[in-house]
Amino acid sequence: MLPSQDDHADHMTEEQLVPLLPVQVYARPHVLQQIRGPLSPQIIELRGDQLIIGRNPDVDIRIPSAALSRHHLRLDKYQGGYRAVDLDSSNGFFLNEIRVSSAALRDGDTIQLGNAVFVYHEGK
Amino acid sequence: MGFYVRFWGTRGSIPTPGRTTHRYGGNTSCVEIRFDDALFILDGGTGLRELGVDLMRRPQHPVVAHMLFSHMHWDHIQGFPFFTPAYVPQNTFTIYGATSGDRRFHQLLSGQMRSEYFPVDFSALHSHIVPSDLGELSARTLDGVLVRCFVQRHPGGSFAYSLEKNGHRVVYATDNEIDLTLPDPSVVQRDLLAPRAIPSEFIEFCRGADLLICDGQYTEAEYPSKVGWGHPRATTVVDAAVQAAVKQLAIFHHDPMQSDDDIEQKIGDCRSRARRLGSDCLIFAAREGVELRLDTPLTP
Ligand SMILES: [Zn+2]
Ligand SMILES: [Zn+2]
Repeated sequence: MLPSQDDHADHMTEEQLVPLLPVQVYARPHVLQQIRGPLSPQIIELRGDQLIIGRNPDVDIRIPSAALSRHHLRLDKYQGGYRAVDLDSSNGFFLNEIRVSSAALRDGDTIQLGNAVFVYHEGK
Repeated sequence: MGFYVRFWGTRGSIPTPGRTTHRYGGNTSCVEIRFDDALFILDGGTGLRELGVDLMRRPQHPVVAHMLFSHMHWDHIQGFPFFTPAYVPQNTFTIYGATSGDRRFHQLLSGQMRSEYFPVDFSALHSHIVPSDLGELSARTLDGVLVRCFVQRHPGGSFAYSLEKNGHRVVYATDNEIDLTLPDPSVVQRDLLAPRAIPSEFIEFCRGADLLICDGQYTEAEYPSKVGWGHPRATTVVDAAVQAAVKQLAIFHHDPMQSDDDIEQKIGDCRSRARRLGSDCLIFAAREGVELRLDTPLTP
């Protein structure tokens, strides 16, 4: 079927000037939702280019558990999201139950570090 | 230092960018394997471009690598003209993908850069590109890593590779229609759940590997209309992994029609099959951007 030509023919449609208002875009941050282990449940918003998770007081995301290494996992800003890198931890980094050394995180990923379990949610 | 495997492209046949393939990735075959300082690149599908970008950013220069190609289908060579480190004069790449005396492989790899196809000629690759071969397919040691190869069932042929050092081993076996090599293919028609005997040569080639990266393109439902296209049922690969007692199986070369959800369904079916066969082999879908370290314990 051919597109209707009605709109072009209709000179009755009133022209409107629509002002372009400055639009504020609210970015939703990437988050880690901790679902198991000390301090859970909690929601951790991820901000910054590099974050360390571990049990040491000097880290960005501290989980007080002997099952975590002092500096266990590093999150690096990567292609608009985060890449998680195991810092040679004793108990490892498990991504969806498989031991990995690093991974670009995706929405819904489960991350296990010792007895702490997180779900990664991609922001916008 | 250590033994690392990283997936740069895990898709079969053609790149599949887009929202429905965001999780597992849309780039075609490319896997990086590092044993301490030795770097191996398995296949040069479109994932090779991003590996190249990453290698340029790493502190180790010049880049020296062995490039092992399974075969010369597009989805395994197409990233090569976009592999930036190949344009840097100090770098060295030794290329393997054919038996001795077989010139076709190097002709095809460079032929895709002829002016009809690509604006930059092969001669513009200023790195030291060394065309080598797999000899008579016997085992050899490259930078302290024992490399073996295996001829697979695929239109035009393809090679699987086994890389081993210090008792750790990875097997890369893509574009491999294992289903056509079954000694008794009728067993699948009679009973989908029955164990499938895999030829012993392939089982011995994979025996006890820390990781088997294997073509598992099709589901049970997809395979019957794709017989002879060169790729197996993922479930048949599970039987191979179980019979060879490999520790981990990465299902690789995902079909371009499969969304992330489809791949997860396929992996779920593979895991159920392994459980029914009484195996504790860890099975997962090879996923772009994931790196494994294979000289560490696999379970918590
Ligand atoms: Zn392929
Ligand atoms: Zn192929």
